[in-house]
Amino acid sequence: MIAVSVVKRYHLIPILAFTGAVFLPVLLGSNQYFRTVLILMLIFIIYASAWNFLTFSGQGSLGHAAFFGLGGYLSSLIAIQIKIPFIIAILAGAGLTTVIGLLIGLTCVRLREWFLAMVTFGFAVIVQTVIVISQLSPITGGWDGYPVPKLIPGTGPASSLIEYYCILIIAAGSLLLFHLLLRSKIGLALAAIRENEMEAKASGINTVPFKLFAFGISSGIAAIAGALEVSHFGYISPEIFGTDISFWPVVYSITGGLGTLAGPIIGTIVVSFIWEGLNALGLTYERFIVIGLLLILTIIFLPKGLVSLPDAVHAWKKRGFQMRKR
Amino acid sequence: MEIHAEIIAQVLFWGLYTGCIYILLATGLNLIFGVMKIVNYAHGEFLMLGTYITFFLYIMSGFNPYVLLCASIPVLIAIGVIIERLCFRPILGTGKLNEIFVSIGLIYIMQNLVARIWTDEWKTIQSPYRDISVDFSIIQVPLDYLIIMAITAGLLIGLYIFLHHSWTGRAIRATSQDRTGAMLMGIHVERMDMITFGIGAALAGAAGTLWAVSGQVFNPYMGSVPAIKAFAIIILGGLGSIPGAIVGGLAVGLVENGTAFTLGGAWKDAVSFILLIIVLIIRPTGLFGEENE
Repeated sequence: MIAVSVVKRYHLIPILAFTGAVFLPVLLGSNQYFRTVLILMLIFIIYASAWNFLTFSGQGSLGHAAFFGLGGYLSSLIAIQIKIPFIIAILAGAGLTTVIGLLIGLTCVRLREWFLAMVTFGFAVIVQTVIVISQLSPITGGWDGYPVPKLIPGTGPASSLIEYYCILIIAAGSLLLFHLLLRSKIGLALAAIRENEMEAKASGINTVPFKLFAFGISSGIAAIAGALEVSHFGYISPEIFGTDISFWPVVYSITGGLGTLAGPIIGTIVVSFIWEGLNALGLTYERFIVIGLLLILTIIFLPKGLVSLPDAVHAWKKRGFQMRKR
Repeated sequence: MEIHAEIIAQVLFWGLYTGCIYILLATGLNLIFGVMKIVNYAHGEFLMLGTYITFFLYIMSGFNPYVLLCASIPVLIAIGVIIERLCFRPILGTGKLNEIFVSIGLIYIMQNLVARIWTDEWKTIQSPYRDISVDFSIIQVPLDYLIIMAITAGLLIGLYIFLHHSWTGRAIRATSQDRTGAMLMGIHVERMDMITFGIGAALAGAAGTLWAVSGQVFNPYMGSVPAIKAFAIIILGGLGSIPGAIVGGLAVGLVENGTAFTLGGAWKDAVSFILLIIVLIIRPTGLFGEENE
């Protein structure tokens, strides 16, 4: 009886989704391709949600690859140099990246949108340059990169299944963290800053620490996603700082729905399906064109993303009905 | 000492030449920002389209590539107008960052459309004057660079005359100063948006032709880095200020080549961002930007 009262209606969808995610790999069998797609999807859900968390505070970033990549580099370097299990190294790497994110955030919190987008983009380029310069290349391998230990040692269906569940737990954990943060007073303050920074200041919110906090959390979680990605592929190279990696979370969050927790999840799933489908058809360049069109059409016709599709369809039907009545 | 002066002159000259491309890009961006108050992040893709139009027509016709400016400019005006009409007008005045997200979509579409047609390999074309260089007592300067600088100056003077001495130009400036006021004076501001976007794209297209003519390589993804530097320039020079864009363009061109010479080529792209970030730490609204907006 208690269980029933605790589980309210709006808890139902996340719980169903989580249960679905638990059983999905079992249903799909031990097909390695599907499993890789699922794992990458989870990693990008974490990454896109981290990016999306930044927009809750009214900020944005076109250079989140800087944090994604730093997470990958720092965790794997720690794991290799100190020889500790990768899962602990991920936390250390995420911690370090959070510190770097806070430092970068210090320059960003005072900037307006256009400048912010520029500066974050610039940081991805700067970090990449620092990683490949000749002084650091004995450690980082320069442009060639280096092999990274696996999260779960061993190959084959069993270890990839364990890897999937590990990443699922991390994904669920970070989403829960975002949910709790947004429901707390911090979330209220962030929403106030997003809606109107001047008024937020006027009502006594010291905006800088809150914006910095969002920046730090966002970069830390993005770093975790980056570490998981490189350990999945077993390799890291400076291409991880590319504009593609910076733009993916933007594409996912916007098609899904900006400023909602479900948005990045739905966006990642839908876009990944389209992407993999077009890839299977051998449309290498066309898939980018389709994604670009999808992005533009979503912004123009469905500004709140795919999450708002049911409402939009409902409103559209209602309007059609009224017109017929007239 | 003789060699020293020579190298410095060389670096300066390279800086001026790279600066020309950046100035054309930054001026176009600035014009668009001034009128529409949006930042077109896909501006580098117009540069890329310019190089490919030049490349295609050069291969097809074998004309002197400088003549192909007459082709790349009108084509880019048309493309700019279409893109403004289809993609940017519907989102004008909606969310703050929406134009950036639309630009990302445009970047994907343009890059991969070009890659689909001409593959993504690096390409290059040859200028007819590539072997000719002009002798200034200290350095030998390729004739192409001088022509490119002259064309840039010519385009900027033409733009100045257009903006100050034609009805449309004055209407564009009125719109950028006060949109509502311009509307009340009977100016069709949305048409001004369209024209401005066309001109901005055309300047980027001209920069693309000059890029290709100077013998630099290009591929479908080459546009992002110059575009991003053009942003750095307009932030340095102040959003909406065209003289600022010219000064900023030259400054970034010089700093970049100076760094490539002293610290090595790897730092070439990062240094303009470091410069940008330092400026923004000191002045969050840009070097010549308005204090409060």
